[in-house]
Amino acid sequence: MVESVLSFRGVSKIYDSGVGIRYALREVSFDLSPGQRVAVEGRSGSGKSTLLHLAAGIDLPSRGEVWSEGRNLASLSERDRALLRRKGVGLVFQFFYLLSHLSVAENVGLPELVAGSRPSQFASRVQALLERVDLGDRAGDPIHQLSGGEMQRVAICRALLRRPRLLLADEPTGNLDDENSQQVLQLMLSLAEEEGSSLIYATHSRELASLADQRWQLHSGIMGPV
Amino acid sequence: MRAGRSLYFLTVLGVALGVASVVCIQIINRNSLAAFRGGIQAVSGDADCTILSRTPALSETLYPKVLGTPGVAAAWPLCRLDVALSDTGGVFLEILGVDFFAPVRMPWEGERGEDWEALAQRGWVAVGPKLAEEMGWLVGDRFEVSIGSRRVQLVVGALVDFQRLTPFASSKLAVMDISQVQSLLAQPGEIDQIDIRLHPDANLSEVVADLQGRLGPSVRILTPEQRESAASDLLEAFRLNLTALSLISLFVGLFLVYSSTQALLVRRRAEFGVLRSLGATRAQLLGLILREVLFIGMLGVVLGIPMGYWAAQANLEVVSATLSNLYLLEEIESLEIPFWLYVLAGTIGIGGAVAGALIPALDMSRRQIRALLMPPVLHQRVASLALPLFLGGALILVLSGAWYKLYGWNWKPSGFVLGIAVLLALPLSTPLFVREITASVRARRFGLGYSLKSLGARLQTTSFAVASLAVAVSMLMGITLMIGSFRRTVEVWVSGTVKADIYVSTSSFRGRGIQATLDDRFVSSLSNLSGIRAVDRLRKLEVYSGDREIYLAGVDMSLMGGEARFPLLHGDPLQAWPLLRQGKAVLIGETLAHKANLEVGDRLVVSAPAGEVRFPIVGVYYDYSPGKGLAVVDFEALGQHFGPGSAHSLALYLQAPEETDRVVDQLKLLYAETPLRFRSNRNLRQQVLKIFDQTFAITRLLQAMCLLIAVCGIALTLLILARERISELALYRALGALRWQIFWVFVGKGLGIGLLGLALGLLGGVALAAILIFVINRAYFGWTIQVYWPWAALIQQTATILGAALLASLYPALRATQSPATLLSRDDV
Repeated sequence: MVESVLSFRGVSKIYDSGVGIRYALREVSFDLSPGQRVAVEGRSGSGKSTLLHLAAGIDLPSRGEVWSEGRNLASLSERDRALLRRKGVGLVFQFFYLLSHLSVAENVGLPELVAGSRPSQFASRVQALLERVDLGDRAGDPIHQLSGGEMQRVAICRALLRRPRLLLADEPTGNLDDENSQQVLQLMLSLAEEEGSSLIYATHSRELASLADQRWQLHSGIMGPV
Repeated sequence: MRAGRSLYFLTVLGVALGVASVVCIQIINRNSLAAFRGGIQAVSGDADCTILSRTPALSETLYPKVLGTPGVAAAWPLCRLDVALSDTGGVFLEILGVDFFAPVRMPWEGERGEDWEALAQRGWVAVGPKLAEEMGWLVGDRFEVSIGSRRVQLVVGALVDFQRLTPFASSKLAVMDISQVQSLLAQPGEIDQIDIRLHPDANLSEVVADLQGRLGPSVRILTPEQRESAASDLLEAFRLNLTALSLISLFVGLFLVYSSTQALLVRRRAEFGVLRSLGATRAQLLGLILREVLFIGMLGVVLGIPMGYWAAQANLEVVSATLSNLYLLEEIESLEIPFWLYVLAGTIGIGGAVAGALIPALDMSRRQIRALLMPPVLHQRVASLALPLFLGGALILVLSGAWYKLYGWNWKPSGFVLGIAVLLALPLSTPLFVREITASVRARRFGLGYSLKSLGARLQTTSFAVASLAVAVSMLMGITLMIGSFRRTVEVWVSGTVKADIYVSTSSFRGRGIQATLDDRFVSSLSNLSGIRAVDRLRKLEVYSGDREIYLAGVDMSLMGGEARFPLLHGDPLQAWPLLRQGKAVLIGETLAHKANLEVGDRLVVSAPAGEVRFPIVGVYYDYSPGKGLAVVDFEALGQHFGPGSAHSLALYLQAPEETDRVVDQLKLLYAETPLRFRSNRNLRQQVLKIFDQTFAITRLLQAMCLLIAVCGIALTLLILARERISELALYRALGALRWQIFWVFVGKGLGIGLLGLALGLLGGVALAAILIFVINRAYFGWTIQVYWPWAALIQQTATILGAALLASLYPALRATQSPATLLSRDDV
């Protein structure tokens, strides 16, 4: 049996607001296979971002277990979770989170820089990714000169730079128009496939969710098939 | 306010330190003059004017003439004598000789009683109760003082509390019968001054004119205000320089207020947007912001005043030593904060805080509601303004430079205008400097280079921290460079001019101690000792040149190789020295040349007992003494014009200079009973440099306070960045950055700010040093200072600044590591 890239076992996430508790996720369980591409649908506040944060090890579940690369994330120290994320997880965000003081190529290379590599060691990989998303000639440009769609393509390159086993995207097209949304998502799916990364992306668009291999529905923290 | 406690704390601290700098200096400035005024009040009481001599002494035969002048209600003669208390290691007593039997009322008449009659007995003296308590004296106790090379026994006759008459009076004031003082001075018939009280209906200027006509040109008649004004002129540069430095600290403090207000307002922009949308007017919003800033200013003032007082108190001793050593004024013994200083502190603290916050507050209140509810675009705006701001700074420099060249060069305070231009140009050039440097950095690791590069992302916040540090560093480095150059110049000058092997003076000689002469018999016995090759004598008098009080010294101009004592700045030594040896000419110090606008070829006119003497000036020598200025003639010529007199100090040249220390020990043994000081050449040089260092101690305090404010600015900026850049930090964490990496990135930012501020500050510092050395110093002191680079001090200060930047970044860095990756918010990164 092929080992799962990511497993959730009865995961709940509870927030205590002081006046009462609120379930962001309730008893969620699933296995994500290598290369599998899943869309998580749900409205705002349904728990999509919480699920992705737990999957990345950014946050820990209140109950249940999250397993990634054969390791229970709750048993890992914060440092080890950061190292796990550094090595095997790529993240794409709705608001891109590109740094204005870095050029396009420097933004893409940031995960390697954080990992301690020198620019000469990953420059060719950065350039190859940028060319793959048709931004090869924009490598030295400042970020503010890019359009929204271009920014998200740069963010996808950054997420895939270290060839992660797991790519997590939180509303990756939430800040783009329809035409750009389609293009960017198609590109992300293709790249994930090329790089051999499993993918979970959160979206509230059924149309975009339909491009995935599998669709899950989140409603008030409870997960179910569409 | 609770949300930004650290920001508020640092802002209040910045304002408080700025206020403290100004308060400290104003207290010192005021009390330095108050001490002098206290001395006048204690001695002369409510005298309307005082007669002083233009020659070294005043004849008491003038006294009846004064009493006989219409309008004079009372007059009393005074003698003043500085003595050293034996076995106290340098405690001086100023003895006033008064005529207890004069039919006039003394300032301390309330103290007079039956016991005062006893003071006419030999050696009896009235001292202050504070001094008596310090020395453990009771009425009737005997104590020994030295006057020149003599020891004299005095008796505590009564205790007089001069400080009750005027709180600033020196506790080391004593009163004695005038005839006894004249006897101690061996100057019967000579007095130092006559104090006069006028009839209530007399016209002061008419009486003064009448007195001047009756007494002739050998006297000066001054009101207490004129005497204080003379002291004030003497201290003008000292006071002005310290005030300017303290204002720089306040200026740096304003940057802090601006930065923190900006940061706090940016954080609360949505709140303001909501308030505006609920109907709050722009004026209401502005009022709301300014009220908070007013509160910060008030807190700064409340903290700053005691801090300033404490700093003044802590530095009282060194400032007091400077006043008495260099300016020969009264020591400061107590400090007072007048009411107006509270008003000043309140005005500069609150006014400064409001001024610092006004631009961001106005900016925020003028914004449209929609703009308030959107993410800020401030930093992009500053980035686009970087070039115009830089050009503005450059224009200020060019215009001020041109103004100085064309008009300002002969205006005394023009150097301060140039200094202000540099201090304005620095912050204006900062955004472009930061933008260009950070943009050119290539981050090869997630370390210092990356940190430096990331500073460009928040140009407004970063620029303010860099600018405030640059201003502080420029002050620090500029003054260090000036002091270092000055110190080295003095060192070279001292090593060139202090040529004798041993210097001899009396224990009671301290510059003003004109009466502290050496006994002639001692001088001749010393000259006849074996091993002594030559003896140089120095006699120093206070004389008048016009209305200017100067020192005139007599030295042995015929001394073999004595030319080295006076390296000439102007004048031909070959022509000058033959005339000097014949007693037909004078050398003047650079300070005097500058103050009296004299040069080679002019004549120095001085008042002598027999009338005016006109000495041709044949040379101007390097002289680094502050104060009144000094001229030098041949020892014998001085005696011819001012009457014979003893030397105040001697310089001994040994046949075997390598034996100096041994000979000093021998002389100390040989003259153990005589109150003398024997100092080797090395010892004297060390003492000169010690006094030099002491003089600049208060400057170093101001430097430290200014740097501390700038360091608060770094901490404040990093705290602002830790808050504003929360999404960036979360991103790093999401990308797998470890906490220690975030920590070092933030420490790197602090170091980056430190490096950028240091680089700009160094440029500003060199400019300020040049202004201090070549413009301000020349205008106020007239010294020729050679430029030397005090590398050790500069390197030490660079390390201190970077160390301070490092320390300032530790807490914000720690705070930054606490940002969880889940805090990726909607704000741009």
